[in-house]
Amino acid sequence: MLESERLRLSKEIEDLAAHYHYQRQGLLPILQAIKSKHHHLSDFALQEVARLLSIHPVEVYGVVSFYSFLSTSQQGNFVIRLCRTISCDLAGKDAVARQLENELGIKFGETTPDGRFSLFWANCLGMCDQGPALLVNDYVFTRVTAERVFDILEACRRSFGVFALEGSNIIKSEAAVQSNLKTGVSVESGVLSTESLNQGLKNALAGAPEKVIQIIKESGLKGRGGAGFPTHVKWELAANSRSDNKYVVCNADEGEPGTFKDRMLISDYPDLMLEGMTIAGYALGAKQGLVYLRGEYSYLRKSLQKAIDARRAKNLLGQDILGKKGFSFDVEIRLGSGAYVCGEETALIESLEGQRGEPRNRPPFPVNTGYNANPTIVNNVETFTMATHILAKGPAWMKQQGTKVSTGTKLFSVSGYCQHPGIYEFPYGVTIAELLRKVGGEGAKAVQVGGAAGHCVPRSQFDRVIAFEDIPTGGSVIVLGPETSMLEVVKNFLEFFNEESCGQCTPCRIGNAKLLEGVEMLEKGACSIKYLRELQDLGRSMRLASKCGLGQSSPNAFLSITEHFKDEILGKVHAPAAADKGGARL
Amino acid sequence: MTPEKTPVSIPRPCNTENRTPVSQRLNEDEVSCRMAEEGVMVKVVINQQTVEVRARTTILEAAKKINVHIPTLCYHPDLCVAGVCRICVVEVVGQKALQTACSYPITEPIVVHTSTPQVRRARRHILDLMLSEHYGECYSCVRNNNCELQNLAKEYGVDYYRFGHVRQPKYVVDSSSYSVVRDMNKCILCRRCVRTCIDLQEVGVLEAINRGDQTKITTFMDKPLMDVVCINCGQCINRCPTGALRANDPSDDIWAAIDDPDKHVIIQTAPSPRAAIGEAFGLPPGTSVTREMNTALRRCGFDRVFDTDFTADLTIMEEGTELLLRLKKALVDKDPGAALPQFTSCSPGWVKYLEHFYPEYIPNLSTAKSPQQMFGAVMKTYYAEKNNIDPSKIVTVALMPCSAKKFECNRPEMAASGYKDIDYGLTTREMAQMIKEAGIDLPSLPKSGFDEPFGEASGAGLIFGATGGVMEAALRTAVELVTGLKAEQVFENLVVEPVRGFEGIKYMELKIPQVGPVPAILKNLNIPSWDFLNGATLKIAVAHGTANARKVMEDIKAGGKFSECHFIEFMACPGGCLGGGGQPIPTSPEIRAARAKAIYAEDESLELRKSHENPHVLKIYQEFFTEGPCGKKSHHLLHTHYINRGKAIV
Repeated sequence: MLESERLRLSKEIEDLAAHYHYQRQGLLPILQAIKSKHHHLSDFALQEVARLLSIHPVEVYGVVSFYSFLSTSQQGNFVIRLCRTISCDLAGKDAVARQLENELGIKFGETTPDGRFSLFWANCLGMCDQGPALLVNDYVFTRVTAERVFDILEACRRSFGVFALEGSNIIKSEAAVQSNLKTGVSVESGVLSTESLNQGLKNALAGAPEKVIQIIKESGLKGRGGAGFPTHVKWELAANSRSDNKYVVCNADEGEPGTFKDRMLISDYPDLMLEGMTIAGYALGAKQGLVYLRGEYSYLRKSLQKAIDARRAKNLLGQDILGKKGFSFDVEIRLGSGAYVCGEETALIESLEGQRGEPRNRPPFPVNTGYNANPTIVNNVETFTMATHILAKGPAWMKQQGTKVSTGTKLFSVSGYCQHPGIYEFPYGVTIAELLRKVGGEGAKAVQVGGAAGHCVPRSQFDRVIAFEDIPTGGSVIVLGPETSMLEVVKNFLEFFNEESCGQCTPCRIGNAKLLEGVEMLEKGACSIKYLRELQDLGRSMRLASKCGLGQSSPNAFLSITEHFKDEILGKVHAPAAADKGGARL
Repeated sequence: MTPEKTPVSIPRPCNTENRTPVSQRLNEDEVSCRMAEEGVMVKVVINQQTVEVRARTTILEAAKKINVHIPTLCYHPDLCVAGVCRICVVEVVGQKALQTACSYPITEPIVVHTSTPQVRRARRHILDLMLSEHYGECYSCVRNNNCELQNLAKEYGVDYYRFGHVRQPKYVVDSSSYSVVRDMNKCILCRRCVRTCIDLQEVGVLEAINRGDQTKITTFMDKPLMDVVCINCGQCINRCPTGALRANDPSDDIWAAIDDPDKHVIIQTAPSPRAAIGEAFGLPPGTSVTREMNTALRRCGFDRVFDTDFTADLTIMEEGTELLLRLKKALVDKDPGAALPQFTSCSPGWVKYLEHFYPEYIPNLSTAKSPQQMFGAVMKTYYAEKNNIDPSKIVTVALMPCSAKKFECNRPEMAASGYKDIDYGLTTREMAQMIKEAGIDLPSLPKSGFDEPFGEASGAGLIFGATGGVMEAALRTAVELVTGLKAEQVFENLVVEPVRGFEGIKYMELKIPQVGPVPAILKNLNIPSWDFLNGATLKIAVAHGTANARKVMEDIKAGGKFSECHFIEFMACPGGCLGGGGQPIPTSPEIRAARAKAIYAEDESLELRKSHENPHVLKIYQEFFTEGPCGKKSHHLLHTHYINRGKAIV
């Protein structure tokens, strides 16, 4: 690097660091900014960042190497990331992959000699209902066919500089991504209506903060991210913590394969979410809200920021909100950088603090010791949306739908083998059979509920219900058709976990590698039942002994598929070494 | 004239507060902290036994109290909690998943089972998984028979590799460093080394990179260890549960030298190994085996067995004189270039730390070589001349508690005599291994003394092994040389209490009540009298572990109270040399305390306890360094210079 370039880069980093007050919490945004401008993070840049934030260079390196969107090697001006996760796989991503390789003359993981294009795999872009999907820098392309690959690449080639894409006709992400909202089963709950917008906030501010928590409690609202933790408990614990600095964090790191309903909520109904966060801020006594938006959704950042600014202009955010003296609350967007595990709440907090996204030991819980060791609640986008409605319409509205344990309705992201993939609203307690009827997936062989971390439900159990008391879910429903190879499905998931595990704890890091090896043995028809049982045992230990939800749920698909589809997977030779199926490293 | 000990509390410099991820600090939530402060006791039932513990005690600690053994790997008493290996999982009744005993703070009554079928199976699985990835060649491993993974495999009756076993090494062994060898094929990713390097020592060389099954521990941009800011302290080696980290072992070369009849092989032994080497032979920590070790070394075939304490005494003379000169420069000459406070330079880990992180303070570093290097220089000049031995035939081996000494003896500037001062730095562990290899049972050996003339040394040289020791030795001498009083009149029983103990940073002020005549040995210094010191208050500090050194340095940079000190002792390793990176494994606060006790006890048992009273030291100034301490010749042979290394990694 020339001395003058060094100085210029140094100055740039200095400005960035100053913007984030030389705090480690600014590490990720700083690295993102350098990466997007220079297409890589050099040794020199890493050391400069470390110097300015007074941390060790090796720590910065550890962080950079953790996130797939950051890189220490030079990448092209156009970074293409093709989704390799199950729904896009089923929708035919292999043909797109081959065509990309043909057109660019490089393999995945490589950069063209002219330095213009880099080609990578991505893990679930959240476009499962309209796959195959790929990202070109921040721009999303959906329903990509082999034929369209040429047009996309041409548009890039003909443009000058990275920003030229913006004006191009072919690349209009917001238009390209469809909300794909379908009507639910006999539900007119009004979850997706903005009619009573801001009524909830007004109602909340009219009473005491404790009243808000009481109303949430009465409604029976449970976390919509999938774990189903009672929302009011989180809020109450954080509210009772004695601290002047509390945080409301919105988990918009929707990374679970097959989940894309938050994408729609953020793009079409950002106000409902922001209002919910503000209500939570009031209930907790928090002044600051953070939206952790996954890197794959960075194209939504602008519109979300616009929504925040608009609310600020209307005094729905900021000082003395709606004239309520002393109640101030504001929201900041923080961008992820391609790490599924950051959807785990403590990993998300670590990531916000500029660390590798490694889940923490619990206890203590974030409600005590969260962001910067302050009381913090982390809730899903949909949970905040629901809270808004509950405050506007009262707890009884919530209880009209759903079951006793699981009140209300839930948004589902449906993809895979069905006629009408998209986003649906169903009440809790809906049977899988009913759901399949509505989405046009009656012929399914099995349904993967809850994404890669969820359960695979075979046809014989389609009468089971989706609710916290039976099959819990964050909303992902992947319909698997009669022709789908179950081994291919579980292999896809295990490859996903091998890449997306944070790698800190033994059961998850090595356990998933062993399960994947087992699946590869099954593929070759070379796995003894004795060894398969060892692996199932291992899977059960992983559920119990892993540090976080990712590790604890990663063997689920393996366990249910090897349990229910023995006939299909044992003693048979599957998929002879086909062309690259996207199993290569990201 | 009573030494005053003032408590020290320094806030960490800005924005390093979050350096240790909160996840890796043990439960700091407000409620349980308050409970702990108030001394709230909580009842826990572990395997049907009830035990009452203070709030925030971990399950692991509570179990220890009632002698319930829970296996651990990533846990280490010196380090913040990680909870990553998961081997210590237990069942907490009412919790769906198993919990790690090392990280679980007890704040309410709980019922724990440590040996349910689920727990045993999970632990066995975790062990099986580690073994499947661990390229373990136990026979050829330096940690054979002292390996925590091996022990666990035995404890859990592992008799086959349930999930296979790696047959080929995956990583190239990094032996670029003179001190530390990294063999990541044996790494089980417990991250003790990372927590040692980043949190305990704050050097920041090792970190986990990548994620998922690609996770590994490495240096900045995967560079060889010699190219990064490693200070060679070897604390990571002491805390590695397997053989993934080890010292660069020169014992083959030493055997070759011993076996070569042409070579005159001299070994000098530092104070700390003698207080710890017994541990390698099954003796409890804190058993001093100085004289048995002397016999063992002779039986191994060393031609001479000398005591490093001799040059520790010499160091006190040189470094102490240097300090007096600086004080004169500052107080009499009013020279702003006096570079006070003066920093000690015996710890090569600390020296390299300063060269990397605070190079602007190199002028403050005493130019006196460390005792190890002084010894080499004396051997290949004075000793060779006196005994008529060709210096090129002399092989100098230094038995040290330290891995950084291996680097130090290879510094190119350490050869002022025309010969390398020290040929090999050998750790306590490696020495124990050589003794075993020679078929010698150390504890049962007859006792013997050191060889003369470098055998008799003072207790002051001996206590160099413990944090505060250099300072205490310097004070014993300085007080006598300056005030003309007996040191015993100032320090009861010659114990300088405020600089002893394991507090991270120690500070002391000492008023000089009177001055005596300048003693004869210092007559060449051009200091007519000590009047400039009369009534002055000497301010000194002691820091051990580079994390504490960093605090002191940041305070000095900010112009805080340590910038007003005159003399500061820095040791890179927690506890000082006795906790060095070459000492027997394991290490813990208790083990280090026991070693310190042994060293101080030996000091008190000696007649000679002040460096300047060592007759051989006086003799060497009469016969060889005739201009006295800090004279021309001693400058040439006993002093050195340093290198501005900086932090940049290229």
